[in-house]
Amino acid sequence: MTAFLQNCFAGLALGSTYALVALGFVVIYKSTGVINFAQGGLLALGAYLGYTFSNNLAIAFAVAIVLACVSAAVVGAAFERIVLRRMVGQPPFAVIMITIGLLFVLEPLITSIWGFDNKQVDNPWNIQTVGVGGLVLGVRDLWTIGLTAAVVIGFFAFFRYTSLGLAMRATAFDPEAALAQGISARRVYAVSWAIAAALAALAGITLAAGPGGLQPSISFIALAAFPAMILGGLDSPGGAVAGGLIIGLAEALTRGYQDQLFSWAGDNVSVIVPYLVMIVILLIRPYGLAGTKDVRRI
Amino acid sequence: MLVRRRGKGVVAAVAAALLVAACGGAGGDGGSDSGQAGAPGKTAGFDGTTIRLGVLTPSTGSVAVIGLPLTAGNKVWFDQVNASGGIAGKYRVELAQEDTQYKPDVAVQQYNKIKGNVVAFTQLLGTPSTLAVLPQLRSDKVLAAPASLDGLWVREENLLPVGAPYQVQVINAVDHYLKEGGGSTSSKICAMVQDDVYGEAGLQGLNFAAERYKFSIANTQKFKINTENYTGQIGALAGAGCQMVFLTATPSDAAKIWGTAAQARFAPRWYGQSPSYTGALAKSAVAPYLQQAVLIVSEGTEWGDASVSGMRDMVARATQFAPQQPPDYYFAFGYNQARAMTAVLEKAVQQGNLSRDGILAASKALGTVGFDGLAGDYQYGAAETRNPPRSSTLFAVDPAKPFGLRTVKYNFTSDAAKAYEFKKSEM
Amino acid sequence: MARTRGGPHRNLTRGYSDDLRLFGTPAAKIGLALMLAVLVLLPTVVHDDFWLSVLIYVGITAIGAIGLNLLTGYCGQISLGHAFFIGAGAYITARVGGDLDLPLPVWLLAAAVVGAVLGGLIGPFALRLRGNYLAIVTLGLIFIGEHIWRNFKDLTGGNSGTSVNAPVDIGVADIDQMVIAGETYSRNQGWFWLVWVLVGVVALLAKNLVRTRPGRALQAVRDRDQAAEVIGVRAGRYKIGAFVISSAVAAMAGALFGAYQRFVSPDEWNLLLSIQYIAIIIVGGLGTIFGSVLGAIFVGALPALIDRYSEYLPGVQTGVGGEGFISVFALNQAIFGLLIVLFLVLEPRGLAGIWLRIKAYFKAWPFSY
Repeated sequence: MTAFLQNCFAGLALGSTYALVALGFVVIYKSTGVINFAQGGLLALGAYLGYTFSNNLAIAFAVAIVLACVSAAVVGAAFERIVLRRMVGQPPFAVIMITIGLLFVLEPLITSIWGFDNKQVDNPWNIQTVGVGGLVLGVRDLWTIGLTAAVVIGFFAFFRYTSLGLAMRATAFDPEAALAQGISARRVYAVSWAIAAALAALAGITLAAGPGGLQPSISFIALAAFPAMILGGLDSPGGAVAGGLIIGLAEALTRGYQDQLFSWAGDNVSVIVPYLVMIVILLIRPYGLAGTKDVRRI
Repeated sequence: MLVRRRGKGVVAAVAAALLVAACGGAGGDGGSDSGQAGAPGKTAGFDGTTIRLGVLTPSTGSVAVIGLPLTAGNKVWFDQVNASGGIAGKYRVELAQEDTQYKPDVAVQQYNKIKGNVVAFTQLLGTPSTLAVLPQLRSDKVLAAPASLDGLWVREENLLPVGAPYQVQVINAVDHYLKEGGGSTSSKICAMVQDDVYGEAGLQGLNFAAERYKFSIANTQKFKINTENYTGQIGALAGAGCQMVFLTATPSDAAKIWGTAAQARFAPRWYGQSPSYTGALAKSAVAPYLQQAVLIVSEGTEWGDASVSGMRDMVARATQFAPQQPPDYYFAFGYNQARAMTAVLEKAVQQGNLSRDGILAASKALGTVGFDGLAGDYQYGAAETRNPPRSSTLFAVDPAKPFGLRTVKYNFTSDAAKAYEFKKSEM
Repeated sequence: MARTRGGPHRNLTRGYSDDLRLFGTPAAKIGLALMLAVLVLLPTVVHDDFWLSVLIYVGITAIGAIGLNLLTGYCGQISLGHAFFIGAGAYITARVGGDLDLPLPVWLLAAAVVGAVLGGLIGPFALRLRGNYLAIVTLGLIFIGEHIWRNFKDLTGGNSGTSVNAPVDIGVADIDQMVIAGETYSRNQGWFWLVWVLVGVVALLAKNLVRTRPGRALQAVRDRDQAAEVIGVRAGRYKIGAFVISSAVAAMAGALFGAYQRFVSPDEWNLLLSIQYIAIIIVGGLGTIFGSVLGAIFVGALPALIDRYSEYLPGVQTGVGGEGFISVFALNQAIFGLLIVLFLVLEPRGLAGIWLRIKAYFKAWPFSY
């Protein structure tokens, strides 16, 4: 039982990271109809900025997190303003490719500035743990789960109660009607990119504060968040959070019971569990758990 | 009508093209005009005064952490050779370096890019890249020094390995654990290895030791490189009650693995394969855990150890030719590699033939090459008769030391390691 | 002579059959002859192994890109799983060509058949999933595929990879060492001819496919699949068919890749490879065969150019301890990314779009304004 709970805890921590990244995907998708492949790059950028603030400029870690999120948000919004705005009305495929282009620019930029070696981010969590019952809980994991929960609540409150949030929901629902009501679509697009980038940065920096430290390959985690987003339904924020947690739990539990239950499926089967779960669920529900079904007209 | 005439035009153009093509063959690189035992004749990569050597290394990507210091080691050795007149006192050595990004297909492309301009390759980093280039090395009759310690290299005549292979490292580590490390054959001995060729080499060594010392491996965990979260594997090792774990990994994964273990308060005796470690670990948050739980098995001695003559020379030369170079045992590896290649070149010059055939012949005619205590002496010769060193050095993590490593046991050889036989791969 | 003077202008399309011409205009015929001449002559002029090997990789990539363009450009099904089929082809070649020692046509065909079967298994997903959902599911194919390649050791050699010793001779000539009229040609020269002849064959077959009924049906499915159903196109069948053909072609490209490189490992069939193919067909132009080849040349040769001439660029680090702030690889990737962005912002139709614009300009010359 202890082992099971321990694995569930690891799954929740991992799932929180997935949920943050997937939420970023959904925000952009809802407002602009684009899947943002550069999310991983923004995640890495945020993490490295956090490293610079915390280590090189010796800013308190809590402040460094906020600064990293804000700077990443500025980069995200700037990218939308400079490049993507020109692509409004172009086929989605071309726009997706542009985000891939951005990823390819971000990665060498990051490695040219910070190099390839493993960086240790100065942070108060490190490898400290607290014991609860028979469980050993990493302080960093607890913070990741807590911060994610806070951000998700704030996220939904923002969309529910602020006028900008309302404007964004309106634009996602019907861009032309929203425009007719005097809502600035430009502002909405820029804000959604900024939010997505900030979420990615938060995921990145909490990840980088873990025992593994920080290296450029941190951006790969965004690839495992794709299934989380698709699983929940491309345009459902609630679905993204649920999808992230499901995928995280499934991955951690498979890893924990690899020896007993899954040895027949080859080593490291947990790596592909997110995709397997996603495929099974999509075959049953082609628009994910909570995605909107396209209405197809002739 | 018109269409038919045009059609003829096409045929004529193609025919003319074929005619020209018939004179453009590039096959069969005419051999070099070598005079036996005289001065070596000009050949690909040798213009009569300068010998060019290839370096295929990842200078970007996650393995650049290893590739960069290793190449710096190559450079410093040859700078020193050039400063003292060059090979045989008169031929300067120049390096042509290409970035492989640690990708086999890129390595093959880069190999093709420079093979026509070099006499041999003094570094080819990475087990996968080496395996990828090997078929071409064979058909082109080119010699390359692999910068990895896989046991497969020992019996390949186109490769010039240095140092004790990974399998030997593991066997010596197990020997140490059983005899001096407080373990016995009834201890729970486990393995955590990277899920690839490199990890398999570590596992081979452990299996051999298990057979030899008559214990069974209690648990084996394999992981994919760049895994983000190791709690499952660590949990499984802890659950199996492992008292000793042998780790075969690269630095970035090793950092996460040890961090996760520290967090889970799981502290067996860890033995780490030499490429698992890098100096940054000794400065990280997990350093206290590493000091207490981890031993690294490698070769040579700690950086700056004045009692070993090879280390004295190397540090002096590094200070002279690469003052920016931080202490690093991958640097020493590159330095040793260059030293072995220099022995081959000296021999080839002595035999008066720097062509590809000449280099291969020289590598077979080579006797034992010594490394002054930086690595075990290597007995070269025909591939079937080569005998790699069987000695290892154990290090403990100590942040006060340069590169964060302190010698625990210097240059020891177990009987089991001496008995290990290297086989040629079927590849 | 009478036809040229009295008949309609050479560029005028009067009927359906004119529209179906493969190489209708004189300009196209001259272009074809030029291309043939370049194909035959180039390896005799360029002996450099590096450039030949770059061009061989480009040719192999072009074949795979034609396959992807049939699926994505013509049928509108986005797939990120192309690398999986390429890998499958390479492994089949290692076993059929290498272990069984069967000749080139056999292993090439075997790879195509296996690719087709795999495509037929994946295709049905496209019936249930659409657009972005399909894209991400095919992304899963890459990771699941990688897992299979790492664990199915009898086929793939596991993580150690496998050597591919497939014999490369076609009846009379051994590509690895060709002798024509007493002159010996190197492996790279032989491979250049082999690969680019195959590019021609595949391009011709693809062109034939898309200008006839199946091709028009594919495009109807792409543009609006329900409307296509209404007018009598069986959309489901064509979607699966497109997957089958595209993955068969991809597997052939993989077969050539493996046989040329002689060694393959599971690390190579990753997402980056798939993305590279998508970049190629987008930069080249979606829904054009010629564009796939142009795109492959562009995406394949540009990094090689930068790599070769990086020492003349300021600020680029060419070696360890060298001056400069950015490595060749990093620069390459950044330029690649920038070009994709610039391209799509300035010309969303890709290279083929630019080409069409130039053509349209000269078609109406001197009255093009």
